[in-house]
Amino acid sequence: MIAEHLALFVASSLRLAMPLVFASTGELVSERAGVLNLSLEGMMLTGAFFGAWGSWSTNDPLLGLLIGVLAALIVALVQAWLSVSVGANQLVVGIGFNILALGATTLLYREVFGALSRDAIPGFGKWHVPVLGDLPWMGTALFQQTGLVYLGLGLLLVTWLALDQTAWGLAIKAVGEEPRAADQAGVAIRRIRYGAVLFAGGMAGLGGAFVSLGDIHTFTENMTNGAGYLAITAVIFGAWRPGKTFLACLLFGAATALQFQLPDMGVTVPTTLLLLLPYVLALLAVVGAVGRTAPPAALALPYRRG
Amino acid sequence: MKSLSSALARPLRDRRSLWTLVAIAGSVATGLALVALTSGSIWDALGAFGDGTFGSAYAFGSSINRAVVFALVGLGYILANRANLVNVGGEGQIAVGGMFATAAALNHGISGLPAGLAMLVPLLSGTLAGGVWGAVAGWFKVKRGTNEVISTLLLTFIGLLLVYGAVQSEALLRQPMTSSATLPESLEIPDATKLPLLFAASGSPMHLGAPLTLAALVLGWIVLARSKFGFQLKAVGYNPVAARRAGIDDGKVVILSMAIAGALGGLAGAMMIQGEQYSLKSGFSSGFGFDGLVVGLLARGSPLGVLLGALCFGFLRSGGIAMEITARVPAAVVLIIEGLLVVTIAAASQLAAHKEGAS
Repeated sequence: MIAEHLALFVASSLRLAMPLVFASTGELVSERAGVLNLSLEGMMLTGAFFGAWGSWSTNDPLLGLLIGVLAALIVALVQAWLSVSVGANQLVVGIGFNILALGATTLLYREVFGALSRDAIPGFGKWHVPVLGDLPWMGTALFQQTGLVYLGLGLLLVTWLALDQTAWGLAIKAVGEEPRAADQAGVAIRRIRYGAVLFAGGMAGLGGAFVSLGDIHTFTENMTNGAGYLAITAVIFGAWRPGKTFLACLLFGAATALQFQLPDMGVTVPTTLLLLLPYVLALLAVVGAVGRTAPPAALALPYRRG
Repeated sequence: MKSLSSALARPLRDRRSLWTLVAIAGSVATGLALVALTSGSIWDALGAFGDGTFGSAYAFGSSINRAVVFALVGLGYILANRANLVNVGGEGQIAVGGMFATAAALNHGISGLPAGLAMLVPLLSGTLAGGVWGAVAGWFKVKRGTNEVISTLLLTFIGLLLVYGAVQSEALLRQPMTSSATLPESLEIPDATKLPLLFAASGSPMHLGAPLTLAALVLGWIVLARSKFGFQLKAVGYNPVAARRAGIDDGKVVILSMAIAGALGGLAGAMMIQGEQYSLKSGFSSGFGFDGLVVGLLARGSPLGVLLGALCFGFLRSGGIAMEITARVPAAVVLIIEGLLVVTIAAASQLAAHKEGAS
């Protein structure tokens, strides 16, 4: 009984953490390069809607996923142009995009889906990993998820290695900490920042499509409901490091899972406390109460020569 | 610093204003095209927009009430921004302000005070709560070097969730549960604690907040342009090290300016409860703080710009709601127009700066 609950808890924590894992991994890279995307929420919502729309109209969740990612990349491209080339205020642009994405997806949803709103769309089924999926309780907890979960974990691992072990990673971090010195050393600041924002957009698109295609198999208005902000919070609590950020996502996912599971088990906990947990922890982290953390020095500052 | 006002007054003389006008015209044109596509008749939709903004005393008053909130948050933003601080926490400051105002108004000791005080004490409680919420971010910045964008954003989510929690629990602010259908919201506040309506006879919901906000804007202008504190803000914003050498306590200025910005947000929240909504609900502040932030950002440091921006957004929101109700235009269209306005105006001001630099 306990083992069953535990397996269910681990499985749903991981599933609920995945949209955050995708989005925060992308945002982490972008912030390390010095660009803050408050528009992460809007990119995720865009990915969730266009993923659902693509899957519904092509009847193929994989094509849907690609369409969702592509749509989020377009938002990211405009965001990159405004943040990097134009040098517009990244906070303003990000908030503007979130308002725009909420309006556009809500309008399109009503125009396209209309009365079909409650219908399920083709999504990704669970993948019962051979052998591992049959393990006593680990199998249910970890190896009976959709393939997207393993894709996300793989991308996280690759990003982590790239950031810490490659020249690209070094260049990204240099651009975010000391853009002037990096520029003088011949690093192509614009190209790296464009690439980083596009990476954040693609990952946010995947995270959004995970919500509509991998988890719930439908689209609803404002479906991501703050997940983008929570992913940014995970990056902060994770001290702008991939491993810690991943743990932060898992913790936030677990807090969400408990909200659903504790009442089922007959335990009453004020849900407010569980909802508050991520933000309070992140606040404690940034004020240095649990290990000192500092954002990249050039975060949200456009770079201009001279 | 060019404000929205000069943008409207001298459209052709400087490039930034021209680009801003192009941005506004483009956003509005896109919005009109969407209205035409989604509704039967664009004239019905525009008529509804007109009715929802200037069409009646009710519509006009509720637009002004929205503008009051945007203006107070926007004014707080530009005050703190003068010291180079970015307060993105308006939404949370409104939330805690509204929550504490409600708690004070529902306290029998306070609502039993003589008429004026019964209204004033909750208003001040909300202001104080918002001020503390802002000051905390300033204090973290001074003592721990925490970036205030991050701390005010996190404090916003915490503030919103505290309101959510407060109206879920009868031990806190939830009204007594008489049946399972009892909504998770507070009791209505007593009449003595409500802000007086200015034109109640005409059916306008405009409350005392409107003239108070105008006074706050004038005061804000005086503080920024004429006072010693305004000078200190500017000095700290320009160069905190030089300001310290000149004998200015820069830490105090940072905490105080964040406290003032937060207090203005808290005041706005208290006014929303005491002037119009009369009971606390989860999400009562939804979007108001972020709209106010945008107004502050677009005002380019000028209180007059805050006033004009707040009025624009107040009427835009109200007109959009009316279009949805009477002309069946999805309210999402207004979100699209607003989002486009924010993004393109932000881009326009920078594009203009580039071109000026190049020529």
